Amino acid sequence: MIEKETLRKADVYSGLIIFLFGAWIVWQASKMPMKDSWGGVQNVWFVSPALFPLFVGAMIMLLGLLLFRTALKRIGLKTFGDTLKWLFSKNLLRFLNTVSILRFYAMAVLFLSLVYLNIPRIDFFLSAMLFLIVFITMFYFDEAVLLKKLFFFYLAGTAFLFIYFAGGLDDRIGRILPFAKDILVLGFLLGYCVYAWQLIRGSSLLRKKFRTGLIIAVGTPLIIGMIFKYFLLVPMPSEGLVVALTDAIWYFEF
Amino acid sequence: MMILERIGTYFQMVFDLAADPQHIVILLCSVLLGIIFGAMPGLTSTLGVALLTALTYGMDTATAMLCLLAIYVGGTYGGSYASILINIPGTAASAATALDGYPLACKGEAGRAIGLTTTASAIGTIISMLFLVSISPLISFFALQFTSFEFFLLAFFGILISGTLTSPDLVIKGWIAGFLGLFLSCVGRDLLQFYPRFTFGISELDSGIEVVPVLIGAFGIPQIIQVLRERFQIGETQKLQRILPEFGTIVRNIPKIIRSALIGVGIGSVPGIGEDIAAWVSYGAAKNTSKHPERFGKGEITGVLSSEVANNACVGGAMIPLLNLGIPGSPPAAMLLGALMLHGVTPGPMITFEHPTFIMEVAAILLLASLSMWVVGMLLAKQVVKVLRIPAQIFMPVIGILCIIGSYSLGMNIWNLYLMLPVGIISYFLIEMGYPIAPLVIGVILGPMADENLRRALMVSQGSFLPIFTRPVSLTLFLVIVWTVISQFPAYRKFKNKLMDKVFRRKSCEADFDTDNPEEG
Repeated sequence: MIEKETLRKADVYSGLIIFLFGAWIVWQASKMPMKDSWGGVQNVWFVSPALFPLFVGAMIMLLGLLLFRTALKRIGLKTFGDTLKWLFSKNLLRFLNTVSILRFYAMAVLFLSLVYLNIPRIDFFLSAMLFLIVFITMFYFDEAVLLKKLFFFYLAGTAFLFIYFAGGLDDRIGRILPFAKDILVLGFLLGYCVYAWQLIRGSSLLRKKFRTGLIIAVGTPLIIGMIFKYFLLVPMPSEGLVVALTDAIWYFEF
Repeated sequence: MMILERIGTYFQMVFDLAADPQHIVILLCSVLLGIIFGAMPGLTSTLGVALLTALTYGMDTATAMLCLLAIYVGGTYGGSYASILINIPGTAASAATALDGYPLACKGEAGRAIGLTTTASAIGTIISMLFLVSISPLISFFALQFTSFEFFLLAFFGILISGTLTSPDLVIKGWIAGFLGLFLSCVGRDLLQFYPRFTFGISELDSGIEVVPVLIGAFGIPQIIQVLRERFQIGETQKLQRILPEFGTIVRNIPKIIRSALIGVGIGSVPGIGEDIAAWVSYGAAKNTSKHPERFGKGEITGVLSSEVANNACVGGAMIPLLNLGIPGSPPAAMLLGALMLHGVTPGPMITFEHPTFIMEVAAILLLASLSMWVVGMLLAKQVVKVLRIPAQIFMPVIGILCIIGSYSLGMNIWNLYLMLPVGIISYFLIEMGYPIAPLVIGVILGPMADENLRRALMVSQGSFLPIFTRPVSLTLFLVIVWTVISQFPAYRKFKNKLMDKVFRRKSCEADFDTDNPEEG
């Protein structure tokens, strides 16, 4: 949790956002049938589907306002003005460039790309392996410079994958080459490993960490995936190259 | 005669469960997994229960409950390992244990401390189980008299009290979190008229927001981000000697153990309040009533005992409102509620009619889980503490993958993942800003109950709120809610202090007057 003094400054804004969010809920709820007919049923206010959201929205508005008022009272108008100035100054950019924030970006990008880009399209085992190797190496090496370099490498690869899928290239190439997207991600995975190895090859400690990371990144999806796919009979979100291979082994499809 | 019959049924259940070797294997593995989850700083029993819910999907209800309750019990106890050996609480519930556990470890008594916490935790769970069995029929009987107004007020009270007591910063933030949870519960088609609310034409939202992915997101993702962003490092582990159960010390401290267990059960049965608060309250009570309070914080064995008994007694306490009213007593209990719903069991006053032996079954599982925990703790503690050496940078990404596959596998719906991640990221920001997550989760769970019962109650009363004031239980709940809210305002505290000052001044004046005129008395 942030320290108290900074927290009160942030509360002014969070209170305001929560108030606006509550107002949005009330606005949306006011569009719901209150006394009109819905599905052949004539409504009365006390059975309206809007009743509860209206109550919740109004309470969120009220509490947001209370938080805003309490926080503003504690910090005073002068400090509030200072925080406003800070928000539009270069200090904000400096703050957003700190290593701690970079660590957050790295995790957010990793999770967002995994959930919204890779998992729905790419073989689960490959998506999970890529996620784990990038995640573990970025943080386990525990060096800000390496984190930055590896993060930007991954970001560039993810941007390329995004263009590849959004531009419809996958459909075209997929018709000619089976498992095209999986092969592409496998290439990205190998490229990442080579790049990371290049960066750390001078340090025996980091080399050891890299090897450990690699074992975990390959072993974990295989164990977890196998349990879910073959023991709990849960089909993977996307099944591609590796699943085809494991299916062949599991069901002796040679 | 009926009591004897119930006791007979109970032991029959214990025997039936224990007679199946598959159950014993699941029990021991789950307890061990729970202890590992509890011991590793950054992982919690809530997360353990959340992730394992996916694995229990294909099991029958009894086996699933065996697995999940064993993780819950093991996870609550496992937190003490890290507290004692590295002075970093494995879970928030064991933070109070670190105060005296770590000094004991520094004195070379880590084995003794872990032996004591193992026995104390098992005793705490067993006492809470006794309360669960004995109090449940009573609560169930009263709950059957409840009408929709009472259920609405009860749900509302659960969210408010959880927000009030779990907020690490301003109380308002706890309430806001609760109402945000209530908002999330509004998403989807409403239960009475099937009208789509906040769905924006997305058909996947029609059935509402799934509880389990929300729980996994809210508890799992912020944990991963927090641990790795703050570059969490595990310190040097203290040496662990031979672990002994220390029955002599336990017997000498029986009154203190009973007091701590009562605190744990009491706090556990308050909606949404977790094991951490129980442990702190119990620790405080032990210190305040001790003849040597100065010894606390320097390796006092009573300190370790009081917090560990209380946090494990909380497990059974949390089951009381969960099973009888459908209101979770703690965050892991909220997760259990989600799991129960997946298995077609709807906790609430009707549970004794729909599943007559279910509460007994849960009690039997709690007994077996606490015994397994004791056995595993005594035999495998030395091996389990080795997991403390695994760096967070390695296990946290693995937890991330488990969160993802766990959310997806419940219903095999990728939409659950799309939902889990934003909930997780928003929860992270909320936690950073001092908002508690437990009320949000309780809000998501109790939202449908509050919504449905409010409208049903108003339908019966034709839009009148008068029954709240004419029905004794409703009125009591309403007054408690009003008092909970008002007591948080500074104006109320000023008024109360003034009133107290006046009363005491008058009393002291009267006393002075009496002493001045002794012949009058």
